[in-house]
Amino acid sequence: MKKAIEVKNLTKEYKDFKLDNISFTLPVGTIMGFIGENGAGKTTTIKSILDIIKYDGEIKLMDKDNKNEALKDIGVVLDDAFFPEILNAKDINTIMKSTYQNWDSKLYFKYLNDFKIPSKKQIKQLSKGMHKKLEIAVALAHHPKLLILDEPTTGLDPVARSEILEIFQNFMVDPECSIFISSHITSDLEHIADYIVFINEGKILLNEKCHVLLEEYGIVKCKKEELENIAKEDYIRVRKYRYDYELLIKNKKEFKKKYNSEVIDKISLEELMVLMLKGE
Amino acid sequence: MLGFIKKDLLIVKGNLKTFLLIFVFYAFLAYTGDVDITFILPFLSVMVMMSSFSYDAYNKWDSYALSIPKGRENIVKAKYLVTLILITITSLLVLFLFIFLSYIKKEPLDLDMVFSTFIGNIIGTVLVECVMYPIIFKWGIEKARIAIFALVIIFVVTLGFLISKVDTINLNLVFNYLFKYWYIFTILILLMSLALSIHIYRKKEF
Repeated sequence: MKKAIEVKNLTKEYKDFKLDNISFTLPVGTIMGFIGENGAGKTTTIKSILDIIKYDGEIKLMDKDNKNEALKDIGVVLDDAFFPEILNAKDINTIMKSTYQNWDSKLYFKYLNDFKIPSKKQIKQLSKGMHKKLEIAVALAHHPKLLILDEPTTGLDPVARSEILEIFQNFMVDPECSIFISSHITSDLEHIADYIVFINEGKILLNEKCHVLLEEYGIVKCKKEELENIAKEDYIRVRKYRYDYELLIKNKKEFKKKYNSEVIDKISLEELMVLMLKGE
Repeated sequence: MLGFIKKDLLIVKGNLKTFLLIFVFYAFLAYTGDVDITFILPFLSVMVMMSSFSYDAYNKWDSYALSIPKGRENIVKAKYLVTLILITITSLLVLFLFIFLSYIKKEPLDLDMVFSTFIGNIIGTVLVECVMYPIIFKWGIEKARIAIFALVIIFVVTLGFLISKVDTINLNLVFNYLFKYWYIFTILILLMSLALSIHIYRKKEF
């Protein structure tokens, strides 16, 4: 299996936060959604992957030992870092065509045109949505094989988000391409991700195929007396509400068979996140 | 690295109107004879680079640039190269201004004075920026402003002390010596500063 990203025992310690020995692998040709609360360690992980910060552990990109070589084939959208705002989209083309051998000005201006981004308007004059779209256009214009995206759809309206997701799906038509995407908007990930990695307080809580999470995991609502009859190993989390309980279960089929349960709800990534964090 | 150089030059271009206004203003003062333009103009390159660092910091450009191949080493080298380009441009501007002013004032051009001013500008500006850059790369532009301000005060006080205590003739000898070997002195300072900045930046986190 070819690996786009391989993270082994990544550890990064700050005064008040520790990214604690995390490991995961993104196979080539797949999309990995990286989810978690604010401050969970998503951006620290991405910064480590890109060598923006120093870390302990091992990170390999595109199966290459030389990170500079790997970076040639990587497109990046960072949460809040970009070109100086005094520049415009045309300036970025001037800069990037001297930076990447594969920079495709024609493709870049096609994206600008598709996204309706004015090429001579300073970045600071662009709306938040346009700003994000420009970042995505820049990330795609050198024909990367791997996209590393930190909150790429934040601040975009639903129509723009759907456009962007479509672009990511088109990007994935090439089986050699992969995407690592961190996002708060978990509904976006449900549509495109092959894998979900869930991080909390610097530790990975869950690393699972997305379809397994959505099809096999489920939510069971029950009363206190019903809960007492359910073995603890049959649910992952339980959350207490005013009148009833919500259980996060790992295998709907097995649970249904064992407890003859009639109603097991499908779970969304958002519900999963909330239950994992708020449940016991 | 060419891309990073272009980026800084495009920032200068974005602020060109402001810098041209400053240039015209000081050129006018030089014409009236109130201000010594020779000293001020090259420091325009310092202002330009400071504003470039500020834009970078405000938009967290460094983080982004590190995701570009060879970003970590090229960011630093590009800053030094752009600085040299700007120092050359501003020093040449002073040179042309001298010629222009002597022409319209119909005064003879003192070539020795023009040359020593040209060299003095280059040495002075390179020295200032070579001290500034490692500080900026280490602590960032905002904290560096305070450090640079403190350094300027220390420099002025030390120079004042030296002038009052040391025989002026001896000092002139030192300056003459510096002028004679200015290119070696400037290149040496520049390389030392560059090496220090690269060393600092290699370890830096964003």
